[in-house]
Amino acid sequence: MALPVLVVDDSGMSRKLTIRALPKDWDIEISQAADGFEALEAYHQGKAHIMFLDLTMPGMDGFEVLETLQKEGLDCFVIVVSADVQPEAEVRAKELGAMAFIRKPINTEIVTKILMEFGII
Amino acid sequence: MSIQPYTEDQRDALQEITNIAMGQAGSSLAQLLDVFVILSVPRVRIVGVEDVPSAVSEMVDDPEEITAVRQAFYNKLRGETMVVFGRKGCSDLADLMGHEEVQSSEDEEELLLDVTNILVGAVLNGLGEQIEVEFGFSPPAIMATNTPIEKVLISDELGWSHALLIEVNFSLEERGFKCYLIMLMPEESIDMMRQALDHILESF
Repeated sequence: MALPVLVVDDSGMSRKLTIRALPKDWDIEISQAADGFEALEAYHQGKAHIMFLDLTMPGMDGFEVLETLQKEGLDCFVIVVSADVQPEAEVRAKELGAMAFIRKPINTEIVTKILMEFGII
Repeated sequence: MSIQPYTEDQRDALQEITNIAMGQAGSSLAQLLDVFVILSVPRVRIVGVEDVPSAVSEMVDDPEEITAVRQAFYNKLRGETMVVFGRKGCSDLADLMGHEEVQSSEDEEELLLDVTNILVGAVLNGLGEQIEVEFGFSPPAIMATNTPIEKVLISDELGWSHALLIEVNFSLEERGFKCYLIMLMPEESIDMMRQALDHILESF
């Protein structure tokens, strides 16, 4: 069965770039969300076994999504994809349960490396 | 002169490349002040130049008393950047740097110039890398201290009809500190930017 993957970013271009950076032969079903609220909704619908999550978004940002997931008992593998390159941003995201942190711009090599590291592909 | 607005895709692409440039600027500021900088989504729009002052004062918390530092940029794209600090922003900066470093009003001015230079440099370099333009920029200069924003931004002086207005803000978690970076570009740069954005959009 295809693995549900959710790509969360307020920018459509950025979502496209993330989707394009995913390994080609990976059997997945991709959903998209444009902010934190949409992300949680999709997560509750079971569309996010893996989540690529932007941090800086209007409404509900990525940190708030992580906090909510943590409170609810995180059942999702979150990879943050962010332009926030402060080392502290990565530390905080990981404290809130993110498994990996990709600095934008994203590319296939880094995604593949992370997915292999965690034995996902 | 009428100006063609950006399409939704162009606006989205510009907002995203600004977001990446802002991330680099925020990280430089975090390093300088040894604090965590909270980033928010940048705002991008084309406005009639007469609407620039009101558009900018909307984003600033206390538009009655701002200190603004200006830095112009030029090359394939040209325009003006302004970093705007509220009254509290200036004193917070001095606190963060330590009062041994910042004793006189000259020291305070120098700090504002440094912060502006760091933010503007990082944002312009970040944007430039993505659209493959190298910018030249003027040294930062204080435009106004503790002045109402409409007196700082007098649109006639620009001599443009429209401006691309890019707004970014940086806030620090522990204090109320906020500063704003505003970038303005005239008509021909709006078109040049459009081409650069189309080039990015065509690449996927």
